[in-house]
Amino acid sequence: MTDRFESILDESISALQAGVPIEEILAEVPDYASELRPLLYAAMVLADPNPELAPEERKAALQAKYMSQVAELPPVLPTFGNKAQAVFRIMRRRLTPKTVLNDLITVTITIFLTLAMTALILSYAAANSLPGDFLYGVKRISENVQLTFAFSAERRTALEDTFNQRRLDEIEELIQQNRAAVVKFKGALNTKVENLWIIEGITVVISNDTLIEGDPQENDMVEVIGLLRTNNVLVADTVKKIR
Amino acid sequence: MKDDLSLLERIKLHDQQALAEVYDRYFDQLYYYINYRLGDSEAAADLAGEVFLALVQALKNGKPPKTSLTGWLYAVARNLAADHIKKQVRTVPLVEDLVADEPPLTDRAYLAQLVPTLKMALRKLTEDQQHVIALRFGQGLSLAETAQIMDKSVGAIKALQHRALASLARFIPAEVNDDG
Repeated sequence: MTDRFESILDESISALQAGVPIEEILAEVPDYASELRPLLYAAMVLADPNPELAPEERKAALQAKYMSQVAELPPVLPTFGNKAQAVFRIMRRRLTPKTVLNDLITVTITIFLTLAMTALILSYAAANSLPGDFLYGVKRISENVQLTFAFSAERRTALEDTFNQRRLDEIEELIQQNRAAVVKFKGALNTKVENLWIIEGITVVISNDTLIEGDPQENDMVEVIGLLRTNNVLVADTVKKIR
Repeated sequence: MKDDLSLLERIKLHDQQALAEVYDRYFDQLYYYINYRLGDSEAAADLAGEVFLALVQALKNGKPPKTSLTGWLYAVARNLAADHIKKQVRTVPLVEDLVADEPPLTDRAYLAQLVPTLKMALRKLTEDQQHVIALRFGQGLSLAETAQIMDKSVGAIKALQHRALASLARFIPAEVNDDG
């Protein structure tokens, strides 16, 4: 009962402070009117609607006295604990679901753009690399990514042909530069003369260690993995019939 | 009335700009509060100034406000006002002597005449009750703000407010009550 009356009293005081006349407030709660009336009149008498300001000169003089004492305070350097608390407060203010989401989106977009830009620059720089070069792996990864996103069989076949032609061009370039490298390419087996096979116009040496898979015959398509030496001899490691 | 935690942290580091900000932000409200309690503008200005000097002294002694700057400043203002009232108590006329003998005027004018009587009666209340009345009706603070400053629950403030008004309502003449 007391709790109920205290709540009604406070609501009535709020209404009084908002300018509602006492009798109107009491009319809303007739059961409590007689008990409430003297309390509301007391509240009205005690209210100070126009509080008096301290004279400006007085306020300024007191401020000057205060600030002169403030000026004598020795400086306090923030401790590690102070700094940690400040960082913690800032983090706590920042850790709302909205800011966390915004931060995640920003970080994700930044990482994505950075990776995309890096990949673009590297693939451009790696375009003319040859087997054995530092960026050659990037070139092959870039080709594999293109093959992954080639969803139609025609597109995939066209890309594979393009990339295989690149492998042949790379071997030509390596031969011209007298460079040694491990190479891999596909092509038609043109002729087989003992241990010298001509595959897609390139002479390939078949050694005793060469692994030959599928008994390839002339005009068959084969895949070759081998070592191109500096004397421009390509020794096959594996020759595999693919169709 | 929201307590500024970063302001409190800065004053703990004796940041002069923050301490100047404290004065600008709190002087007027502390002056209102003390003046409401004392009804003496001269003494209220002096005591409001003393609140800030007490803050400097607390910082010098390495005992700054811990969690609530507002609560700390009002607690000092309350103690200074209470001490001042105690010193004056012998010179204050009895409440009963202050009740107007004149015939009732119109409501507003009559109620205005009751202000000194109720202000004197206010001094007979407990310290907590006086503090609640000064904050709620002198400063116009909400229950929640008052509870925050006094470091009590809203329910406790409601109860204090009720008891204080019930005591003061005894000085509201019957003819005013009968008018409704």
